Order: sequence, then C-alpha cells, then structure tokens
Amino acid sequence: MKATRVNGRYRLAITSRAVAAIGGGYALAAGFSAALSLLLAQCMPRVEAVLTATMLSWVVYAAAAGWAFYTRTAWGAWGGTLLPALVLGACATARHWMKAAA
Amino acid sequence: MTSSTLPSQTPAERAPAATAANTASEAARSAKKPKVPNDREGFRQAMSWLHTWAGLILGWLLFAIFLTGTLSFFKNEFNLWMRPEMHGLQPVDATDPQVAQKALDALARKVPNVTQWIMHLPDDRDPAVNLLWRDTGNGRFETLRMNPQTGEAIDARQTMGGDFFYRFHFELRTAQKGRWTLEGRWVVGVATMLMFVALISGVITHRRIFKDFFTFRPTKGGQRAWLDAHNVSGVLVLPFYLMITFSGLMIFHTLYMPAGIATAYKGENGVDSNAYFADLQGEKAESRPRRRPGDKVEPLPAIALPSILTEARTRWDGGRIGSLQARRDAKGRAVVEVTRHEGDRLQYRPPRLLFDASIGQWLDQADATGPAVKTYGVLYGLHMARFADIGLRWALFGFGLLGSLMIATGMVLWSVKRSAKSQTQASRTGIAANKDNRGGVVPTMAPFGERLVAAINIATLAGLPLACGVYIASNRLVPLNAEGRADVELAWFFSAWGLALLWALACAVVRPSRMGWSFALGAAGLVWALLPVINALTTHTHLGVTLPAGEWVWASMDLAFLTTGLVLGWLSWRLRPGRARKGKAAEAKTPRTAPAAALPAATEVSVSTSGA
Repeated sequence: MKATRVNGRYRLAITSRAVAAIGGGYALAAGFSAALSLLLAQCMPRVEAVLTATMLSWVVYAAAAGWAFYTRTAWGAWGGTLLPALVLGACATARHWMKAAA
Repeated sequence: MTSSTLPSQTPAERAPAATAANTASEAARSAKKPKVPNDREGFRQAMSWLHTWAGLILGWLLFAIFLTGTLSFFKNEFNLWMRPEMHGLQPVDATDPQVAQKALDALARKVPNVTQWIMHLPDDRDPAVNLLWRDTGNGRFETLRMNPQTGEAIDARQTMGGDFFYRFHFELRTAQKGRWTLEGRWVVGVATMLMFVALISGVITHRRIFKDFFTFRPTKGGQRAWLDAHNVSGVLVLPFYLMITFSGLMIFHTLYMPAGIATAYKGENGVDSNAYFADLQGEKAESRPRRRPGDKVEPLPAIALPSILTEARTRWDGGRIGSLQARRDAKGRAVVEVTRHEGDRLQYRPPRLLFDASIGQWLDQADATGPAVKTYGVLYGLHMARFADIGLRWALFGFGLLGSLMIATGMVLWSVKRSAKSQTQASRTGIAANKDNRGGVVPTMAPFGERLVAAINIATLAGLPLACGVYIASNRLVPLNAEGRADVELAWFFSAWGLALLWALACAVVRPSRMGWSFALGAAGLVWALLPVINALTTHTHLGVTLPAGEWVWASMDLAFLTTGLVLGWLSWRLRPGRARKGKAAEAKTPRTAPAAALPAATEVSVSTSGA
C-alpha cells in the first residue's frame, strides 16, 4: 500500500523539487548576481561589483538547492526560489524598463 | 500522505531497515535520532538525502572529471612523455633572445603570412619552444614544437598527449578538434554545481565532522568501513575540494553565470562583454580586437624581438618571461604582448607588457589589480596550479586522488547501503516478494536500478583507469604514420571504456558475477604495469636509459605508471572471487560482509537471499 502511494506522488514531488532546485535556484542566483552587481557598481568599479556578486551567487544557488529539499512542500520549493528571483530580477531590470517607458 | 510530509519521508523510508536487528550500524545511527525529528534533525536529514542523490546522479561524471583533472596537474609531463621525439633536448637559457628569434625565423620560413602567434618559451617543465600560430583572422591555432637551440620544428608523433586529460576534464573533449566543447563545458558545469551542493550538504550531514577526521575502521567491514573511508577522504582535504569546485565554477562564470555582466555592463548598444573581459584581465578595452570568423587580417610585419625582450627583462627585474604573443590590435597596429611566467606568482593570469611590434617601443602594461579581480585570479591560479613546484604539485596530485577516492567510495557506499537494505527487506518479506522485479528477472536478484548502479560503478571506477592506461599505451602502439593519429589514440581510450561498460553490464546487470570488479581492475592494473615494458620495446626513452642518465622527468613517469599498475593489481587481487567467498564464510553471522565482498552490491543480494 505504502509503496504504491509513495511511488506516484513521492516521485512527482521529488522531481518537482529537483526542477525547482536546479531551475528556480539558478533563477534566484542569477537574479541575485544581477541585482547585487548593479547595487555594488554604485560604489566600486563595475568588474569588482560583478565578480563579488557572481562569487556570492554560487553560495545563494547552493542554499536555494538546499532549501528546495528542506522546505515542507514542493510548492514551498518553488515559491522560495522563484518569488525572490522575480523580485531581484525586477530590481535588476527596473532601471532599464523605466528608461524604455520614459 | 500528501506532499506536505514529503521531506520527512526520506528518513521514514529508511526506518524499516533500521528496525531489522542485523543492520547494526544503521540501527546505531538512527538510535541517536529522536523519535520525532526536531527541526535541526529534519534539516540534517534533508541535507543527507540531498547529499546522497546529488552525489549519485552525476557522481560517475564527477569521478571522471576529478581523475582526469588530477592527471592534468602533470599535463606538461604527459605531453613530454607522450612525445619521445622530444627526448634529448638540451636545457637552454630561456632569457637568451636567440631562442625566440630562431623559432620565429623558422616559423617565417614555414608559413609566410602569419597573422598571430603565441610562443611559450622553454622552462624546467617543458624543454621545447611551443609556438601556436594562425594565418586567419579568427581561426584555430596550429601548434609547432621547436628545438630551442636550432629553432627547427621537432617531428613529434601526432598526439593530444596530456592535453586530452586536460580538455576532457573541463569540456569532455572526445576528439582533437572536438565540436561539442561548449556543450561539454555546460555538462561539466552542472556536475561541478552538484559537487558543490554535495560538499556543502555533506558537511551539514556529518555531525561529527571533527571526530570523523580520526576515524577509520577497516576491520569493522562492510558499510561502516566504506562510510569511514568516504568520511576520511572527504574531510581530510575538504578545503581543497571546496576550493577546486568553487574555482571551477568561477573560471567559467562568464559562461555559467553571466547575469551580473548582463546588467552591470549594459550600455546603449546591448551588453558590452568585451569591456568586461578587458576589465577582468586588466587590459584596455580598445586594445582588444573583436573579429568574426570571416574577417581578413593583415599579416604581421617584421618584429623587433631583441629590443622587446631586453626591455621586458629590465622591467621585470629577475622575473621569468613565460610567453610572447604577436597580433594586431583593434586599430590594426601590430603589437607584441610579453607575459610573465605563470610560475612566478599565485594569481592567474600573470602580468603582461605591451610593445609596438615593429619598433619595439614599450606601450603599456596589463594586470588585474582590484581586490575582487585579484581574489578571482588567485582562485583561478589555485585551480590551475601553474605556480606549484614539484613537491607541491605532487601534494595537489595526492589531494586530487583523494578526491577521486572520496567520490568512488561514496558511489560504492550507496550501492552497499542499498544492497544491505533490500537484503533485509527481502529476508523479512520472503524471497519472492521483490516488488521491483520486472518481467523475466529472477526473483532473488537485486532491483534493476541497483544492478545498473553497480554496473556503472564498475565501468567508471575501474573502467576509466583502464581507459587511461590504454590511451597511454596506444601512444606507443599506434603506427606513427596512422591517418588522424591523435584521434586514433582517443578511439583506443573510448573503446576501452566502452568495453569496460559492456563487461560491467554483463557482470552486474545481466548475469551477476563476482568477476566484475576483479577482472576490470586486474585488466587496468596489467595495462598500467605493462606501460614501462611497452615503452622499452618501442622507444629509446625507457627506464634503462632514463634512470642511469638521471632524467627524472622521464623516469618518474614510467615508475608512476608501474606503481599505478601495482596498486590496481593489488585491488583486483583483494576483490578476487575466491577471497570474497572466504570472507563471507568467516562472517556467517552478519549478512554484511567484508569490504571486498560488499563491493559488487548486486551479487551480494542474490547470494545471501538464496542462502537464507
């Protein structure tokens, strides 16, 4: 009984979490490095800002992957990675969009 | 049972195995856990689960990346040994301008309209002048190896030499002019990221990380010994693994994580990646030419080499010159870039001086100086280990081997743990109740997935050393005039690996047999141990010549091959079928057996369940 139920839903949820960890985690790390690069570029040379943000983004990626498998639900894995990724991505591209709108 | 309880299901899944009395170590582990896992334990469990699966999924690839990367620490030595025609080159004073001038004259005689060349001057690891050149605007470079005394090209056999291990290590190169290098780099990047995740989750999983440092109980046998071996090899040089993994991600960060560049370097006309690369190297963006494949470039003029070299030497008082490069900059002016030797400092890339090519006037210097760029350069330098002298090089090689061992023991541990679990399940529920039994499989066999893992373990952990040995042997055995000789050598490599996979599938999936590990390792050991013999029969650079002459660069390669062969042979002997059965009889009380016997996980199950 348990085995059959585990197989279907469990595998689906694990797959969902894995995709969230890999894809959502990457989106979060990319959004993080984009936003932080822009922020740091205000107070240091551009290349310094990009490298600092990129180095930190790998840690963010690893943490996001860990979160995706630790959080209670598979939905949490998606929400915990994609939502902050969207926010950070919006911050990183806001200047560009505002310029385009103006 | 909804998805809300899923993370705790992974430990729950393990629980039945723990209740069985005969899985002693499993029970010992879980006895320490509270019945209702608190949050910290839940986190540790989740990380343990992540560690297991992130490690398994690309573990085989990681092993291949790690092992070939480890061999790449001796890339130059492999390059030399695999071209015996280079033997006997006398060491020269690389600061002598004549060395570069003779090589350049020889190139001019050979190719009239060179548009760009890069010349690596001889040093203590490579006695030849290595000259890469092209006569196109943006095509592949051709390589010439030259005698530093005469400048004449050495007619060395066509081989990728140590560059194959190097290229396979970071882009899974399968042919001398492989086409899928970008895709290969992505695959390696994914594997590297999983390694990073596995390392971090592994640290979290090991609550007794300091104690594990001193714990190795090979006599305990079975799963415990493999776990200890995995922990010791994992913890011992953990900083090295973190460094090598993280720097591996950073080296290709412009490919893997370009988001920061895309925002910070966004200009009016899109992303100015050229400016980023220039900043990264400490160069001026306008001096970097951007060319498309079809672009025509004027051939180089005559170059004022002696004055450039003299000037560079005075500017770097006492520093070695590593390489020279002549090219046309963005404005079409011919320039010479002098690069300091990579062994002169930790940070990669070394500083460079820029000269006008025809009049030899100093123009500029290039070096990365900001704190983050320097950090990146040091990470890069640590990964490449070009700075390391021979002692440190061997130490790093040892760390790399330990890393390969950590991955290998982790893979075996997965297998052994699984087989122990399904074994207890099988003995509890009866022989025929094997749920994963799919059409036609004997009920007492391990599930297909476990047998497949066991097979790929053999094919990778034993098959790759075999393939490497065969590749080196092919360097001596393939006829010198063979068509596309360098790729023929690679064909030997991949054929040997493929055969190892077939053998492993036959021995672990189709018809489980204890011969799987033993034979594959034995074959690998035989090939490696025979390498000095093959070398003696086919070249004049064998131990009988190199040892008396004290040519240690050559001799230590042969000796290292022999040692590798003996170690692999010893492993094969430890895992031979007869010994395993004896070990089993001695431990009749516990189904889990000696480490050697536990290796072929799939067969373990079939033997013990039929015996039960």
